[in-house]
Amino acid sequence: MNRKTRHRLDLLKLLVKKEITLRYKRTYLGFLWALLNPLLTSLVLFIAFNVFMRFEIENFALFLLSALFPWTWFSTSVTMSTNTLTGNVSLIKKVIFPKHFLLLATITAQLVNFIFSLPVLIGLAYYYGSAPALNWLIGIPVLVVAQFAIIYGLALIISTANAYFRDLEYIVSVLVSLLFWMTPIVYPLDAVPAKYRALLALNPVTYLMQAWRDLFFNNMLNWHNVFISLITAAVVLFAGLLVFAKLERKLDEVL
Amino acid sequence: MIKAENLWKSFPMRLDRPGFKELVIKAPKFLKDNNNRFWALKGVSFSVSKGESLAVIGRNGAGKSTLLSLLLGVAQPTKGSVVVSGKRTPLLELGAGFHPDLTGIENIIINGVLLGHTEAEIRARMEAITAFSELGEFIRMPIRAYSSGMQMRLAFAIAIHTSPEVLLIDEIMAVGDESFQKKSGKALLDLIKGGVTTVYVSHSMEAVKKTCDRAIWLEQGEIRAEGEAGHVVEEYLKAQG
Repeated sequence: MNRKTRHRLDLLKLLVKKEITLRYKRTYLGFLWALLNPLLTSLVLFIAFNVFMRFEIENFALFLLSALFPWTWFSTSVTMSTNTLTGNVSLIKKVIFPKHFLLLATITAQLVNFIFSLPVLIGLAYYYGSAPALNWLIGIPVLVVAQFAIIYGLALIISTANAYFRDLEYIVSVLVSLLFWMTPIVYPLDAVPAKYRALLALNPVTYLMQAWRDLFFNNMLNWHNVFISLITAAVVLFAGLLVFAKLERKLDEVL
Repeated sequence: MIKAENLWKSFPMRLDRPGFKELVIKAPKFLKDNNNRFWALKGVSFSVSKGESLAVIGRNGAGKSTLLSLLLGVAQPTKGSVVVSGKRTPLLELGAGFHPDLTGIENIIINGVLLGHTEAEIRARMEAITAFSELGEFIRMPIRAYSSGMQMRLAFAIAIHTSPEVLLIDEIMAVGDESFQKKSGKALLDLIKGGVTTVYVSHSMEAVKKTCDRAIWLEQGEIRAEGEAGHVVEEYLKAQG
């Protein structure tokens, strides 16, 4: 490995490590929060939708988590990356290094959290008697790549745009929660009235979350959903790189 | 080696964010706000040969720091071109990128990597850096426990141990208390005199005369005088009255 690649890997590794360890550095439970947080959120949603408003779904816990864990990776990364550039002004204006590494680090740190939550899904799958099959070994990496590219593309656009238009920060958090309810995560797709289902079909995140659910909950690789997710990933990533390349040059003027 | 050719740099000059009403009414006008820009640099050209040290002097707002950020590469010129060959080490804002919850050692590693080294290279210099910083056992503590002088010492120690080829200095010559000031000033001078290409922005005319071979005097984004350091300083001081 040449020196430049070595340096870039070191930089990314350190930024990710910083992102992961610093967040919980001064708490007692430490990194455990990374797992505890989504679990507690799930518990709230579980109670809301399995006790108060009942969906007739077997194994609701696994049903919910199979899409909620990937969604948590998506939503926290997108929300956090909104401020990644505007929150690191002194670094960006005083040190030369590839700025997009800050975004990669944010997303990778969340990916690590997601990976650490996988044992919970595997455990639940065993508990409900649908042991993880070999297709998990194919499905997880493919979907991780697709989702990473989608998040990264979005993050490139949102974080740079936020430097020019700071209202975006607030708009994004509203849009993310809107997207949460517009995506079949806490409810199954077929619970949506047929006339609105077409609307959900326009939402590319639907296919991604459905693909995760097919994998973890139904124990199958739905190539239709996977394929659409990969196409989305390519398009979003390309758009993100394009926007970033165009706006990055003038970033110093607005930060 | 540094070569700057006809550098122009402008910033959008907006007195205030427009309110929401104005934004809606005059949206088209705000979208093409190119007409109102502040020119921080207006056609600056110069070159610094390898091993030479150049001072940049001038009053506040003359464009000195803008020039440094263009040389460092954290900002792009609006027009013109700048070429810098060699590894650039900024001494602009000491400790940019330090995190208060990380220990001295952790900050050394992350800062060194940000300044362009691999982790192994920085670990190899760890001893030299910690020794220079004179932080003793503090080096294992989170730096929020440091005094501001201690943080500066650490940042300075890292910067001068990154084997710079091009040093870009903004007003920083000596940090810390009396004895550390002497030591850091000398270390920096050794680097500069030892053949590191340097661009040195300062208001201390004494330091400029002592450190630099040549100087340029910037005024309102343009070069007003250029030449041997002592000579330019004299001219500048005369003009200030």
